[in-house]
Amino acid sequence: MKKVLRVLSLLLVVSMVFGLAACGPKDGGKEADKKPAEEKVEKQEEGKEKADDKKEDAAKSDDKVEAGEVKIAVAAPLTGDNSEYGIGFKNAVTMMADTWNAKGGVNNSQIKVELFDDKNSPEEGVSVANKIASSGDIHCVIGHFASGVCMAAAPVYQENNVIEISPSSSHPDYSSIGDFIFRNNTVIVHEAKASIDIAVNDLGKKNIGIISIKTDWGVSTAGIVKDIIADLGDDVSVVAHEEVIEGSDDYRPAITKLDEAGADVVICVGMYNLVAPVARQYKEINPDIKLVGFSNSYSEELIKLGGEAVEDVSFPVIFFSKSDDEKVKAFVSEYSEKFGSEPSALTAQAYDSAGIYFTALEKAGPGADAKAVRDEIAKLSYDGVTGLTKFDDNGDVQKTFTKVTIKDGDFVLLKDAQ
Amino acid sequence: MTAKNQNALDSLKKYAATPIFTYIALAIAFALLIAVPFMGLDSYVMNILVKVSIYVTMALGLNILVGFTGLVSLGQAGFVAVGAYTTTILTTMYGWNYFLALPVCILFSVLVGILIGLPSLRLTGTYLSIITLGFGEIVRTIIIVWEPMTRGPLGIRGIPKPSLFGVQFTMANAGLYFLSIVLMLLVTLFTHLLIRSKTGRAFRAIKGDEMAAMMMGINVTYYKVLAFVLAAVISALAGSLYSTQLGYIDQNTFTFDMSTMILSIVILGGMGTIRGMFIGSAILVILPEVSRSLMDYRFVIYGLILILMMRFRPQGLLGWKSRRPYPISPKALALKEEAASKEGWSTHA
Amino acid sequence: MLFQQIINGLTLGMTYALIAVGYSLVFGILRLVNFSHGSVYAFGANSILFLISMNIGIMPALILGIFLTGALGVIVDKTALEPLRKQHAESITSLITTIGVSSVITNLLTAQLGSQKRSFPSLFPAGSLNIGSISLTYTQLGMLFISLALLLGLLAIVNRTKIGLAMRASEQNIRAAQIMGINVNGVISFTFFLGGMSAAIAGALVSSYYSMAYPNMGYTAGLKAFAAAVLGGIGSLPGSLVGGLLVGSVESMAATLLGSEFRDSMAFIILIIVLVIRPHGLFGKKEIKKV
Repeated sequence: MKKVLRVLSLLLVVSMVFGLAACGPKDGGKEADKKPAEEKVEKQEEGKEKADDKKEDAAKSDDKVEAGEVKIAVAAPLTGDNSEYGIGFKNAVTMMADTWNAKGGVNNSQIKVELFDDKNSPEEGVSVANKIASSGDIHCVIGHFASGVCMAAAPVYQENNVIEISPSSSHPDYSSIGDFIFRNNTVIVHEAKASIDIAVNDLGKKNIGIISIKTDWGVSTAGIVKDIIADLGDDVSVVAHEEVIEGSDDYRPAITKLDEAGADVVICVGMYNLVAPVARQYKEINPDIKLVGFSNSYSEELIKLGGEAVEDVSFPVIFFSKSDDEKVKAFVSEYSEKFGSEPSALTAQAYDSAGIYFTALEKAGPGADAKAVRDEIAKLSYDGVTGLTKFDDNGDVQKTFTKVTIKDGDFVLLKDAQ
Repeated sequence: MTAKNQNALDSLKKYAATPIFTYIALAIAFALLIAVPFMGLDSYVMNILVKVSIYVTMALGLNILVGFTGLVSLGQAGFVAVGAYTTTILTTMYGWNYFLALPVCILFSVLVGILIGLPSLRLTGTYLSIITLGFGEIVRTIIIVWEPMTRGPLGIRGIPKPSLFGVQFTMANAGLYFLSIVLMLLVTLFTHLLIRSKTGRAFRAIKGDEMAAMMMGINVTYYKVLAFVLAAVISALAGSLYSTQLGYIDQNTFTFDMSTMILSIVILGGMGTIRGMFIGSAILVILPEVSRSLMDYRFVIYGLILILMMRFRPQGLLGWKSRRPYPISPKALALKEEAASKEGWSTHA
Repeated sequence: MLFQQIINGLTLGMTYALIAVGYSLVFGILRLVNFSHGSVYAFGANSILFLISMNIGIMPALILGIFLTGALGVIVDKTALEPLRKQHAESITSLITTIGVSSVITNLLTAQLGSQKRSFPSLFPAGSLNIGSISLTYTQLGMLFISLALLLGLLAIVNRTKIGLAMRASEQNIRAAQIMGINVNGVISFTFFLGGMSAAIAGALVSSYYSMAYPNMGYTAGLKAFAAAVLGGIGSLPGSLVGGLLVGSVESMAATLLGSEFRDSMAFIILIIVLVIRPHGLFGKKEIKKV
């Protein structure tokens, strides 16, 4: 009896399997294949409506892409920690798509933005990548946010000829995963040089402390920062380096150690959710400490979370919303009007990333395959809000940095503040 | 349920109890499992199926503890992590073949199982659950701290798919699917045989009343540790397969959430049943996937399901026969039906 | 420096103790590990922050938030746990229910407020008190003082008042208490109310200490406080205090001496050691199993 029931449940599972199968894209032949089998299952599954439910689901998800529609995916943390970055990506790409759609779309096809939430976890990232890769009609992904997630998902995209343009990944190893993998962000080496330049030349400090998050990106960035400082000569040195777990709230033990080592400037290798609490907790014991961050801490959330403590925090960015550039002004005012907040650097980078894909798509012409579009992207020289974008053989870009600091609760150019 | 339905259900059950039906049903289920990869499903669906079968395996492991022996473990993710990391480290850092790494993985998880089983000599009930919870968290810390081996919070990327004689078991050629199905079926068969063995009866006796079991001459300590070891090995094997499916692991893959997920599968399906693990895993793995559009609310629903289940069907979806203390053969069942008029004498623990 | 770290640790430990009280009180009466308590704590901090942002003034926001959280504790008990008691369900059923409740509360918070960390205003004046090389910020002083006062207050309630007597009676023998005419369900609800309130106060203090609050904050804090409660002897209020202080200071020292990656599991390492040596915690009463 027990065995029988077990078998029954097995059948139930299998019927659910079919249900799921029905959710995926399929052709008529497959449908016919599975019909008889499913009926058999149902006969034995008297009273269990699951299979029926699933069939309904299948009918719903059957809406095929209309002719003349182009899809672009945004894969980013839309919920969970760091969701504000993901929502920025979403807003930026939607805005860019709307702009193109208003002009009549790409090659007369309307653009449709598909959203995928990866929760900034590599595990979910891979799952999302599989989903996108198996959809068959999405050839480009704007995203993944954290380098670790990008690098976990990238092999899936590469394998399936899906173009991935990450607006944020800066880990040195990311773009070498494959030729379909691009980024509209500088490799961290260049950014680290700019950050150190702020600490040493603009702020004039010699005893550098480093506090870094323990992620793929954090560890490699901290290592790069140390290497660069070691090359600077004897009078500048790293007095202490503390690693912290991302998302812990209490940085006081690390801060106490940095302070006792005599650091007069601290380079924070982390996002705004590291920089803001570190600034708050550091200034409790040493109000004169100077903090230098990276472009990913450039977010209005930094000021909201850090309050007065983040005054004087400086960092290099490749996009600054108060720039005099006409394109930037237009973008910022449109974005603020639509979404009620100023775009951050990474949001702008996502905006350009989407623009790059649409431009390449148009250049490749109607009906071009992913490979042809990829080649167009590689050749492209795109003049956007984050400056001129031209990918090198690796899929990396070079940009010029603007140094930004916080004064009176607002972002200003570092040279204006001094 | 109306009386008429009840009658229909009863006659269905009677029909279902005939051996011919059993074999037909088994054959159909088996054929379907084999046929799945040839239906041209996309890799996303296949991934979910593999995940379902891996979670079935994990739940079967935990079921030995919770369902049969009555020891509630809240740190099952720890065992999964041990398996995942052992095989991953051996394959990525030392270049071992996945299948060669498995025996080491088993050996290691046996040791860990004994280690966690030992406190059960002194602790019972809630306190034992607390120890397992602590164990799960400590495993995570060991992963973070033991950087030379585990790469700490950086995680291990690019975990190779298992391969045997030059053939890779990938998602694309459905090798990974078959591997997970084979593991799932083996573990199912093992548990099936286990609960009918002397060991299985000892487990059930301990669950029923530990003191009485001891009085009856059952070596309670031995069987409790054994239950932990079996659960550890099964979960570790599932974990090693899970890591190759994910291709990436770090300490956040194996959180308390994973432990509660496995426990929820066992509870939802029906503690102490084997069939329940299948249905529980299918629901709890697929639910978050199909409800992706609900964003944060999908885990609200997940919580509500747990609460409502506990309130209205605490024995689990398929737990309707689990009151029977010992598995009874069909022959004995027939005898019991004869004696149905004297109802009661055989159904009490 | 080490001494400074111990002071920092003790401050945090005090708040762990405040959260631990909630686990301890409930466990004492129901023998149930209430896994929803961590999310109740997070609800406390976030609801207070939400009320503060409504501009009703900090003090009214705090009081209202604390009562709301206490009420949430009662709601959890009344809707999810009391029906199970009436069914005489197995203990694992209640345990799973609390895990479900925790998932519902945390994710509803996330869905409503977003998961990002939000700035929490300071409840105490800036500045610090320096004794030799040790500096105690006013926030830390305030945390120590308020937590201690609250714990003493709770102790007084349990030991000196009529409802406290009823709580202790229910703890001894829930059925006998019922027979003696004690409204056991009322006592249990009151216990959940006290637990919720102290969790909300702890939430406000911790959020003010870190200057931020977010929906997921209850996860680690809850697990650690739970470890502290078991460590001290679950069911014993002084035990919660000692357990909390122990966890807080050991954690802080571990973060300094071994590195911050050790801090989160210190609670569990000492927990396991203590449980193996003294299965009922430092102050716990040994239960005698009757056959």
